[in-house]
Amino acid sequence: MASGSQTVTRPGRRGRRDARERSGVSYPRWYWPSFTFPGILWLAVLFILPFYVVLSVAFGTVDPLFRLPLPVYQPWWWSLDTFQTTLEKFTSGDRIYLDPLIRTLVYVGLSSLICLVLGYSVAYYTARYAGRWRWLILVLLISPFWISYLMRIYAWQSLLQPDGYVNDALGVVGVTPIIWIGRPITVVLGLVYGYIPFMILPLFGFLDRIDQHLLEAGRDLGAGSFQTFRRVTLPLSKPGIIAGLVIVSLPMFGDYFTNNLLGSTSTSMYGNLIDSAVGQAGQGPEAGSLVLILIVLVMIPMLYYLRSTRRSTEAA
Amino acid sequence: MSDATLTRERPIAVAPAHTATGWFRNPWRKPRFLQAVTIGYLAWSILPVIIAIVFSFNNGRSRSTWQGFSLRWWYQDPFDSVWHDPALRTAMFQTLRLSTLTVLLAVPLGTAFAIGIDRWHGRPASTANFFMLFSFVMPEIILGVSLFLLFTNLLESAVRLGTTAQFLGLVTFQMSYPVIIVRARLLSIGPEYEEAAMDLGAPPSQSLRRVLLPLLGPAILASAALVFADSVDDFVTVRYLSGPASSEPLSVKIYSAARASPTPAVNAAATIMLITTLGAIALAWFVFRRITRNRGEAVSAAGLAEF
Amino acid sequence: MSAHPRQRPSALSRRDFLRRSLGVAVALPSAAAILAACSKPGTTSSGGATTGTGARVLARPDDPVTLPMTQDPIPTDTPIEGGTLNVYNWDAYMYKKTLKAFEDEYGVTVEWTTFNNMEEGIQKLVAGQVEADVFFPTTDYIARLVEADLMQPLNHELIPNLAANCWPVFNDPGPYYDLGWRYSVPYTIYTTGVAYRRDRIDDAAAAAKGYELFFDPAFKDEVSYYDSYRDAIGMMLLRDGVTDANSSDPAAIGKAKDAILDMINGNGARLTINGTYAKLPEGEFSVSESWSGDIVGAKYYLPKGTPEDVLGYWYPEDKRGLVGNDTIVIPKAAPKPRLAHEFLNFFLDKHWGYQNFADWNGYQPPFTSIVPDKLVSDGVVPSTLASAVLDEKNFTTGYLQGELSADTDALWLDAWNEIQAGG
Repeated sequence: MASGSQTVTRPGRRGRRDARERSGVSYPRWYWPSFTFPGILWLAVLFILPFYVVLSVAFGTVDPLFRLPLPVYQPWWWSLDTFQTTLEKFTSGDRIYLDPLIRTLVYVGLSSLICLVLGYSVAYYTARYAGRWRWLILVLLISPFWISYLMRIYAWQSLLQPDGYVNDALGVVGVTPIIWIGRPITVVLGLVYGYIPFMILPLFGFLDRIDQHLLEAGRDLGAGSFQTFRRVTLPLSKPGIIAGLVIVSLPMFGDYFTNNLLGSTSTSMYGNLIDSAVGQAGQGPEAGSLVLILIVLVMIPMLYYLRSTRRSTEAA
Repeated sequence: MSDATLTRERPIAVAPAHTATGWFRNPWRKPRFLQAVTIGYLAWSILPVIIAIVFSFNNGRSRSTWQGFSLRWWYQDPFDSVWHDPALRTAMFQTLRLSTLTVLLAVPLGTAFAIGIDRWHGRPASTANFFMLFSFVMPEIILGVSLFLLFTNLLESAVRLGTTAQFLGLVTFQMSYPVIIVRARLLSIGPEYEEAAMDLGAPPSQSLRRVLLPLLGPAILASAALVFADSVDDFVTVRYLSGPASSEPLSVKIYSAARASPTPAVNAAATIMLITTLGAIALAWFVFRRITRNRGEAVSAAGLAEF
Repeated sequence: MSAHPRQRPSALSRRDFLRRSLGVAVALPSAAAILAACSKPGTTSSGGATTGTGARVLARPDDPVTLPMTQDPIPTDTPIEGGTLNVYNWDAYMYKKTLKAFEDEYGVTVEWTTFNNMEEGIQKLVAGQVEADVFFPTTDYIARLVEADLMQPLNHELIPNLAANCWPVFNDPGPYYDLGWRYSVPYTIYTTGVAYRRDRIDDAAAAAKGYELFFDPAFKDEVSYYDSYRDAIGMMLLRDGVTDANSSDPAAIGKAKDAILDMINGNGARLTINGTYAKLPEGEFSVSESWSGDIVGAKYYLPKGTPEDVLGYWYPEDKRGLVGNDTIVIPKAAPKPRLAHEFLNFFLDKHWGYQNFADWNGYQPPFTSIVPDKLVSDGVVPSTLASAVLDEKNFTTGYLQGELSADTDALWLDAWNEIQAGG
């Protein structure tokens, strides 16, 4: 393996003195960072700038005729009135926005938990015990990624109709037809259905890489099956669990279409609040405020997660 | 493999395997419960889709009551079938167009970003990295609404809602996939190969082209396949950014139909898109096999893990 | 807080807003916004838009409005354009066969862009995001669209079918929201009542309950109500005996809102748009709020083997219920205005308008040639749905929903917000 101490100089090539010690290969200082510039520029214009527009809309006003949002781009004329009113809809008066927020937290929490338990079981089985079926199961596990999420929820919508197959199947065992659409349990299961592949695959990756010998060592030292799981496998898969939970739960906070297809107004989530505000006359600033609040809500766990992974990689 | 029943020495005081307690205590037995859970999950996951595909051949309007087999919604119905309904056909082509364009731009941008961020250290790098990761886990509605407000206010004379806006939004949302996948692969490759190339006198561009990129091949292919599949499926962003009806891809049509009065023609169109995506993935798979045909086992196995 | 948040003075004067929204060339849109907003918000230049639409009179049946002519209509001798006609409309609101007939007669193609609700349609049109040749607004937006200079007046000589075929109320003197039909022609007329399954409740019982059907526990979880704030709150106002369908009384609106929440939370009602025409025939709902056209057109969604007479429709006996009509207008920036005029005239034709209604829509056009009894005897409308047919008297006895002032609209939308958030 080449080490940094072997210097073979060739005449006429790019200057090798720079960064030789730092990275072990000799490129000019700005060579590698320049690769990121197109991506950074793209993000700046189409990711960061829109956030500023959201701020301008949230702290802006509406036009007098059609009450479409009018953004105010100068920060010194931003008005916090609508933002304040929006916050108040969570905290005071009738608290009409509080219920959807709590519902969202409950649904996301419940769905993530179910995703974890179910996903871990499936990933564990596939990684450790699947044997020659492993590749087939993997292909089937990956399939939701390339089958449209909407098609899958749409398929469920058909099955959950009062005259659909779910009720038919339940009817075989004597259960009267249940109205599924509009119930919280349907929305929660719909969320699980949609997002669980994002849990299974990272978990599978982690569990797959756990060295078999570590587990055998545990056995040899006298640990039972469950003990091995609890004290060897589980701690080793902890980063995978946390990563899976983050990837699954954060996007769920903005989900509105699952509720639109499988739920009703009494199961409305935070995403539905934003979606209806965007469509309604005079509610542009409110929509902007709701988006801002959501960004803050999501950023906090995200920052915490990044912090903890950086700390763990530094410790490793 | 891991399920081999070992006939090694067991710990003391364990009953023989052919008794019930022995079977229960055997640490290497196949767990029936987990097996059942997995099979149950796979059925739960795939079955609705199969039923939806089957119902596209339904004779009546219903998508929950089987009324006989018919190709009515595929090409027979002169107005509503997939073959004849221009709205559905336009939607399918729009989906294909958007997905292909998105892959063509998002994968190079993301790959370049991943390569750069891997070798760049310091505060600016971690900030850029944070924003990239944030765009990955962020709820899509935030991006959809922000871009909608951007294109209807600040940039309204530069970009109209429609295919261009949808394309820009999709690339923004999908760019993080190649970054993550390629970055993971870079971490597992390490700098040795490039250092070897450098020591043999290759200039940076050659080292990149002939050493790094081929090594990243599987990861790039995998991310292309994933971005394609995800763009076909994308709904939130493209819905907010769609303009005239011709710019509504199939995902938006399915959503609108599901909330109005869907016919099995929607099932048929979705099935077609499913086959297309499957075709794209199969294509990527074959390309991958060709690339790694002459390579060593280790490289292709590692690449496959990424895939 | 004295003023409602939405009543705040805008940072731009109305003229600047219009300039921006019409996409008239400015160097950078943000530059225009910045330049115009260099003056402190609240200090508007000319014609202070502080109260928005306060200066304009809201059209009401007893206070009709003549809209100002913003430009001359296109000349009668303009040649008919070819190519593609852009129609911006609700989904599935026009019969494909009739559209095909139009395409064949003029040798053009029709491209169809849909909006899911009126607010979205207006938003995209006003922002210039959709380029349409014809647009289908509800009557309460017409005055505003004219004020924003987004529509063009119609050349009456090019649309002879309106005078020839339509009810006098739409022709001379013209509808109250557009006297002299300067900008709009009527498309469909409809009442809003209660649709029900006649196999689950008989007609007499339904008529006895009327609007109370939504709250009947016998139909728990089988009730559908419109996901549209004007229709939803409007009907509950009527139930409370408030005859002003454009009420600005916060107490009345609050009561209506509570009634809807009660319906949803107490009786399992669901807000839908397809509840009547798609779900009631399939049996998923037993009672649903319904436009007359929805229930008439619902017969096409009945599963095979279900007879037509399973559908019923209740509307107040004395015809004192909600009534309305949709319109067709031509946007100012329409690329093919002459062809658009032909399109309007085509759908006002006795034969084509009738085909659109009888074979597809279920929404009746206001033609003098359509005799309600004949509709029933011809089988176009089953006799069990005779109450869903309109005649001209409906427009004198019924309650019309018109434009609301910004304040009132905010009241209605606040109530709607609360309903949508789940209560």
